[in-house]
Amino acid sequence: MSTGENNSDPLVTMRNISKRFGGVKALTQVNLDAYAGEVLAIVGDNGAGKSTLIKILTGVYQPTEGEIFVAGKKLVMNSHSDAIDEGIDAVYQTLALADHLDPASNMFLGNELTRSVLGITMLDNKRMRSETERVLFERLGVRLRSLDVPTSSLSGGQRQAVAIARAVYHEGLRVLVMDEPTAALGPQETARTLKLIKALKAQGLAVILISHSLDDVFEVADRVHVQRRGRCAGVVHISQSTQQDVLALIVGAEEAA
Amino acid sequence: MANLEREALPLPTGFRLSTGSFHKLSALLTLVALAIAFSFGNDAFLTVNNGLTVLLQTSVIGLLGIGMTLVIITGGIDLSVGSVLALSGVVTGLAVKAGVPTAPAMALGIVAGAACGLVNGFVVTKMRITPFVATLGMMLIARGVALQLTGAAPISRLGEAFGILGNGSLFRIVEKTGGIFPKVVFPGIPYPAILLAAVAIAAAYLLNRRQIGRHIYATGSNEEAARLSGVLVDRTKIFAYTLSGALAGLAGNVLMSRLVTVQPNEGVMYELDAIAAAVIGGASLMGGVGNISGTMIGAFIIGVLRNGLNMAGVSAFIQQIVIGVIVIVAVYIDQIRNRR
Repeated sequence: MSTGENNSDPLVTMRNISKRFGGVKALTQVNLDAYAGEVLAIVGDNGAGKSTLIKILTGVYQPTEGEIFVAGKKLVMNSHSDAIDEGIDAVYQTLALADHLDPASNMFLGNELTRSVLGITMLDNKRMRSETERVLFERLGVRLRSLDVPTSSLSGGQRQAVAIARAVYHEGLRVLVMDEPTAALGPQETARTLKLIKALKAQGLAVILISHSLDDVFEVADRVHVQRRGRCAGVVHISQSTQQDVLALIVGAEEAA
Repeated sequence: MANLEREALPLPTGFRLSTGSFHKLSALLTLVALAIAFSFGNDAFLTVNNGLTVLLQTSVIGLLGIGMTLVIITGGIDLSVGSVLALSGVVTGLAVKAGVPTAPAMALGIVAGAACGLVNGFVVTKMRITPFVATLGMMLIARGVALQLTGAAPISRLGEAFGILGNGSLFRIVEKTGGIFPKVVFPGIPYPAILLAAVAIAAAYLLNRRQIGRHIYATGSNEEAARLSGVLVDRTKIFAYTLSGALAGLAGNVLMSRLVTVQPNEGVMYELDAIAAAVIGGASLMGGVGNISGTMIGAFIIGVLRNGLNMAGVSAFIQQIVIGVIVIVAVYIDQIRNRR
């Protein structure tokens, strides 16, 4: 299992990140490294600061203190679209898809392809469909029975694939954050989604996976970053630890002992 | 869980009708059935002349329905169209009386309608008032302004040119008979019907072939997703309300032109006909669903019903009851189908 960690610098480095909401300290001095071609899992209890951490990475929140570097370049991001411009995108738990629209419309939403017919601008539905089909198959190995259906009629895993395809269609994508991608899925769909994550890793992306399921984490991740009470409780290599070790870090058993 | 249930459904492999086209087909069949039923009831129903009358009568509701459809797809509603229609007519009438030539005066009326829609859009998006309340307010405001400006009195003697839009027709063929009244071979296609067709085609193009149309659907389907994708949700909504206002203004001018009189209390409850047309045509008040061709069918169902019931001598009160029942049945059938 190559993590890329040993032979290169981290793609993403978050240094001494702190975030306060009024008087509440959500994050305290958190460091995080993520490598290209690696799946880094972030685990932790509710309120441990997982979501805040990734929202800072994806530009949704701005850190109170601390710095973010991607490929050695310091980033100052004021919005999610700034993060997308830097090649950082996220697939959210709630899957930001418009259910009534077909997969291609979702994939190109806000960024539609057009063509000109006798000087009249038209949406190029045909090209959007073929591009969607291509990205789904080439990048994710997914073939949909029909692209001419509302996204609501797809299965959970297929919807997941459309949401991921949306993110990876952006040429400059380097870091993909996935927030609880398997939370709402059955066992079969979960297996498929984990396969997608492995495919993205093989394509050289840095995948950051937030999950409550240690089974999933031990299935796809290379390293686990454990958050507890707003701090990083430790980073462990999957190959060198057990679910028990990670669980102990999550609940803070070692500290108590 | 919903996803899992859907997965359990056996997916049909062969020919398959999407929910939208199923609804449209059933609405179209209803329209045809109505026309057949009425033509048995009265020989005069299925004539060219009556067909054109229905076209003429449906044009106003159709124009309102198109604007309403855009707003409904964004997940909103526009209750102000009936009042805006009256206010636009009043603005045009007053402009004509002030010496403005008819065409620019009508343009002024349409701009006034668009301005009302723009205000609706701003109140909905910037002040974050729910569409129902925002447009209910505009419904009262526009009606009040129309009545105040005119002292609640109709404006008449607006000149011959004012009546052309509502009463003129294309390809009218008359035969000189030597008598006082020439024989009308073909009454011509009324301008309002041509206008409706043009607006419907333009709106369908906008909705299906332009980015803004896709954004209108996306906004109504999942506002948060649309925003995350970079869709300017507020601008999209303002656009829809403004267009609805402008079309209400156009409908107002068509209607007042047909009467060659401006009536400030015209168009009361028209918004409900427009909503009914959109809903019968398959639009969902939850947003994200609807289309122009469906709304046109819906408008014609209402138009044919009114016309046919009139010819059958059914009172206007009974007509209301019938249309009310049809709206509920149309939505119910759609729900059953979606639940299956």
